[in-house]
Amino acid sequence: MHKISKSIMMISALLLALAVGTAAAAEQQGLTALAAKPAAKNITLKDMDNKTWNLADLKGKVILVNFWATWCPPCRAELPSLERLWLQLNKQDFVVLAINAGESADTIFPFTGLLEPAPTFPILLDLDSAVLNAWPVMGLPTTFIIDRQGRIAYRAVGGREFDDPALVKQISELLQHKL
Amino acid sequence: MKTCLLQQISAFILLFATSSFIQAAESDAVQETAARVSAKTSHVIDPDGGTESWEADAEGISVNLAQIVPDRARGFFAARGFTKEAAEKYAHSCTFETVVRNEGDTAIDLHVADWRALVNQQAVKPMLEPAWQSEWEQMKLSQAARIAFRWSQFPLQQHFEKGDWGQGMTTYPLPHGACFDLAFSWTENGKSRSGIIKGVCCAQDK
Repeated sequence: MHKISKSIMMISALLLALAVGTAAAAEQQGLTALAAKPAAKNITLKDMDNKTWNLADLKGKVILVNFWATWCPPCRAELPSLERLWLQLNKQDFVVLAINAGESADTIFPFTGLLEPAPTFPILLDLDSAVLNAWPVMGLPTTFIIDRQGRIAYRAVGGREFDDPALVKQISELLQHKL
Repeated sequence: MKTCLLQQISAFILLFATSSFIQAAESDAVQETAARVSAKTSHVIDPDGGTESWEADAEGISVNLAQIVPDRARGFFAARGFTKEAAEKYAHSCTFETVVRNEGDTAIDLHVADWRALVNQQAVKPMLEPAWQSEWEQMKLSQAARIAFRWSQFPLQQHFEKGDWGQGMTTYPLPHGACFDLAFSWTENGKSRSGIIKGVCCAQDK
């Protein structure tokens, strides 16, 4: 009986270690730092309220540019975490621009209303996909973080949990660098 | 008090061990199924919809193919401005929701054009997005429909750094219900790598 208990405990410990390791691997979140830091191409698009946004006007701020669509499952999954990140960081110096791929405001608006929390950051309409085609985007979602100098500092291909501490730390460090 | 605490800890360990054994048994069942398909492939049947998916995990990359049933393809594209004829044409192909993850520490590059469906001793090329776009151009689909199509397909090329992943549809010119082995490939540090998922089957048109 003692041997069985000992075996169960040993197996339990092994399985626990395995489970923790697997969970850690699954939770791996982060942004890829771009060594070359290429200049971000300008963006001029209207948001759902018909307000025009120009990337050049935002120079000096840290900008997160997220490319997405309502029908893209990982895009849908990550949007609430993007809102939580947006609420968490200093809005004075941090801007989130979510650029939608080719859908109209009439399509997007009912969808965003279903999200919890619903996005309060600007959603820009790339109706002809021109910005998507001009930027180095191969698939959705893709996200870029632009530093205060207007350079692409980080990239993430595929969905992320944007309020993950590791990811918040990367963006917070960019915010700490003043011009 | 100490005895009670020890009993609680023992109960917890026993519960954990029992649930772990159950999980291990379920995992073995999946692996047994996988073993028939390929040593590194798992095969899952969705208990609700009955659709099947296959996943290969190899050397820092995972490739997952999930059947897209024709009705889902029809509905998806009809809701995005496709004509009935165009949606039907796409639904007629063998389509999978494809997810690729870089689970290693090194960047990888993918070219879906290099992938092959191996069936009846023939290597069938995937039907790629530009070929579909030519069809849509002839059918005069709207710009919005074509943009949705472009971004819904798995990208022709992808560069995945550590932690990156991508999702999109891939299609093969094979009939509904056809089964094949998928030979997939990628490059890592300039070296070509390849893997295989055995026994992948196109969805049936029910």
